[in-house]
Amino acid sequence: MSDASQGASALTPEVKGIIGATAEKIEASFPWGIEREGLRIFTQAIMDPDPRYWDDEFAAKTKFGGIITPPIYCTYIGRRTRPGADDPITRAFEENPYSDGIQGVRTPETRGGLPNIPTPLVRTLNAGNEIEVRQYPKLGDRIFSQAKYADIKERVGKDGSRMLIVTTETVYTNQNDEVLCILRASSIRR
Amino acid sequence: MTTAQELRDKKQTWWDDVDVGHEFPPLVIGPLTSTHLFRWSAAIENWHRIHYDQSFAVYHEGLPSVLGQGSWKQSILPRYLKDLCLPDGWPWKVSFQHRAMIVPGDTLTIWAKVTKKYQEEGLGFLDLDVGMRHYAETCPGRATIVLPIRNGKPIPYPFVPPKKLSEQTS
Repeated sequence: MSDASQGASALTPEVKGIIGATAEKIEASFPWGIEREGLRIFTQAIMDPDPRYWDDEFAAKTKFGGIITPPIYCTYIGRRTRPGADDPITRAFEENPYSDGIQGVRTPETRGGLPNIPTPLVRTLNAGNEIEVRQYPKLGDRIFSQAKYADIKERVGKDGSRMLIVTTETVYTNQNDEVLCILRASSIRR
Repeated sequence: MTTAQELRDKKQTWWDDVDVGHEFPPLVIGPLTSTHLFRWSAAIENWHRIHYDQSFAVYHEGLPSVLGQGSWKQSILPRYLKDLCLPDGWPWKVSFQHRAMIVPGDTLTIWAKVTKKYQEEGLGFLDLDVGMRHYAETCPGRATIVLPIRNGKPIPYPFVPPKKLSEQTS
């Protein structure tokens, strides 16, 4: 066990100092913004046949005034492989024929990343997410994201081990800098 | 499942007509198949083989089957809340944890129950317990939605949460 997991506080001045650290704001969508075909694929995968996603005439009469996307859609579009990129699947399996489909496939995103937390606690567990919705993205919208360490707290387990609860907040905005959605993801570092 | 026509014709649920303890109509999805899981992986380009490669999931990872994605579950809950609020309410926020795994063959019941009813700045808020149930509760959480009040003011769009409540969130 490290000093940080038994006895000494894991919430060191260095860890406290990183609270509020904010990443570079990046464009999550492709330059052409949200388009119908991506929206169709996404909404069918969540089995949502809502005409607000595809029927122009109906959507125009709603309070939204046109086609919208599911509230959480903007949090996924940044994961897609950009046109022109080397095929990440081929590359990963050339490097490791037993790839699990994650290691080596997902290109490490260096833009928009947060700094590492200076702690020896490296095991990470998902502690839950919160999604706050302010506005639905529309067709043609360009989506931007910016992450920050919103909070880091310490918790002591029943066995006396210390852990950190890290909350990362990512704000998604459109081309007019209007907030669409805020994703707060909490993880346990132990 | 909900049809496009049902969503087109959805009648408004009014804040006035809902009390603490009210259970909203559930959304039932399933039985899930490995094809559903594969479709989601392709939609969001999540190529983790535990979600679509049965041999890899079972023999390499020691799992009972291919697994349903947490990202799919966390997309279904906001979708359900959106449906409850249509046409003029607002599914403001939802928080949840990932618990029991889901696998092909599972049928999921997505549910919501009112735990608190209040007004703020003239808007009608409902706090909810929410979840996604099969043999266990796989995605328990809480949500806050806004439903229109009869003869009340319209819910603003884009939604701007009342300052007092916004401070409690952030």
